[in-house]
Amino acid sequence: GTGEALQVHIICFNFETVRVTWNVSEPSGENLTFFYTFDSGEAYGQCTHYILRRGLTAGCILDFQDQVLHFSIRNATHALFTHSQWASFYLKPGAPRNLSFQWQQEKVAVTCPGLAHGGLLYEVQLRSNFDAAWQSKEEETCNVHIEGLDAEKCYCLRARVKTTEAAYGPDSYPGDWSEVSCWYGGLPSDLCPDVPISPGFPRFILICS
Amino acid sequence: GESGYAQNGDLEDAELDDYYSFSCYSQLEVNRSHHSLTCTFDDPDINSTNLELEICGALLEINCLNFTKLQEVYYIKTKKFLLIGDSEICVKLGEKSITCKKMNIVKIVKPEAPFNISVVYREGANDFVVTFNTSHLQKKYVKNLMHDVAYRQEKVENNWMHVNLSSTKLTLLQRKLQDDAMYEIKVRSIPYSSDYFEGFWSEWSPSYHFRTPETKRAE
Amino acid sequence: YNFTDCDFEKIKQKYQKTIYNDLKEYMNGAKSTQFNSTVSCNNKSDCLAEIERLTFSAPRGCAPLAREAFALRTRATFALQCPGYSRTQTNNTQAAKKTKEREITTKKCLEQVSQLLGLWGRFCRTLWKR
Repeated sequence: GTGEALQVHIICFNFETVRVTWNVSEPSGENLTFFYTFDSGEAYGQCTHYILRRGLTAGCILDFQDQVLHFSIRNATHALFTHSQWASFYLKPGAPRNLSFQWQQEKVAVTCPGLAHGGLLYEVQLRSNFDAAWQSKEEETCNVHIEGLDAEKCYCLRARVKTTEAAYGPDSYPGDWSEVSCWYGGLPSDLCPDVPISPGFPRFILICS
Repeated sequence: GESGYAQNGDLEDAELDDYYSFSCYSQLEVNRSHHSLTCTFDDPDINSTNLELEICGALLEINCLNFTKLQEVYYIKTKKFLLIGDSEICVKLGEKSITCKKMNIVKIVKPEAPFNISVVYREGANDFVVTFNTSHLQKKYVKNLMHDVAYRQEKVENNWMHVNLSSTKLTLLQRKLQDDAMYEIKVRSIPYSSDYFEGFWSEWSPSYHFRTPETKRAE
Repeated sequence: YNFTDCDFEKIKQKYQKTIYNDLKEYMNGAKSTQFNSTVSCNNKSDCLAEIERLTFSAPRGCAPLAREAFALRTRATFALQCPGYSRTQTNNTQAAKKTKEREITTKKCLEQVSQLLGLWGRFCRTLWKR
């Protein structure tokens, strides 16, 4: 974008809302205004849902459209910052909802309702109570199968949605992790029993609900 | 016996195709951003002295490329593969094309062999963690591979067990292996089935040998 | 050319596996989000039409992009996956041949390629697997 000393931060939450926030390097105490449009052919409209910080406008929340967001941040006399970019390029997907786990001897299938947008990856991470690090697997749909497991071990799993750069550009964000859920012998377990693991491994208690 | 096209000019087209049949595989980014294409005649006894190979089509900015011949292997190293659509590879005797074959570079990919396979025993977990490495993790094009880990108890001929996986780490359960026994393990790779790139198995990695502990966990 | 009958999934695959690498390489480290997006599209065929226009047109201050690897691959992809596309292309290829040297990559060229990354991104997002 173009503009004077204004740090602008954009994040698009799960294809639902876009939040644009700004920081003025040398605050002058004046209220800035935010004008935008998703259609370059139309006139800009003013923000209808400002974010305030210490009584001054500090951001705007607007509904998402998978289009180029054209916006301008102005003071009383001129535009301080103008920018045009695909709103999706600042996407942060939400955590996967309604995860389901199907266990079968030495494998698990993790599924959930996928998002109605292309270019996403669904990542599942799994760790037994003997593993120091998570093991990852990704698929283009929310249907991830992990094999080679030990029915006698306890496993914890979590999932998240990631963007691909080809579809969402270099500035998008990985989604938040789902809650961790733990399983023993294919049955839900509050947490995996602690086992003496090599000293380098951080000891912490996983709370699974 | 040996016979070349010149001495045996009366072969029918179908017989020519059969007689001069050849196979090829490609390796993408095998040398930084250079790709390679390797072809050999299926009949090792063929007299290929005057025979050349040429590829045309699905090339960047040029129409055709000639193979270099190293003993009985025909080889190209280039950045010019379009990686979209079919090419035509022809066996040529001078300027005359004897037989041609349609090939798609991205469908005949042979990955580089995996390496650095190693096995770590985890006493508490009663399992063996197998890890290995592949140069394809750093590549731009052929990144998605399926790996075939094969292991067997030594001195038990051809009793290989196989595990297919897409990651480079797996665990073998102690209770599924013999106690106090020597095992051999190796791995190879093939382009992931549903990916854009398809092709053949790589060579096997060098084998790794490990011994299972004497005492098994109390049942 | 009307792109509605193209095989969109195959085009997306060829973009993600080949063309995208070329566009990134062309940007040579410059981030596409550095540039304002001035072009957009709404649906699959609309996006392909805009992509074709930008790929094969010669913007002011930038040598025609048609000789770049991403353009050659884009043309090959459309020829393969869009029925009848090749027949509409004879004169465009002649235009590409006339340019001799490849001028240095100017800011104008980077801006144009960043628009292409935006359009291709939108195209990819329209295609999702249930």
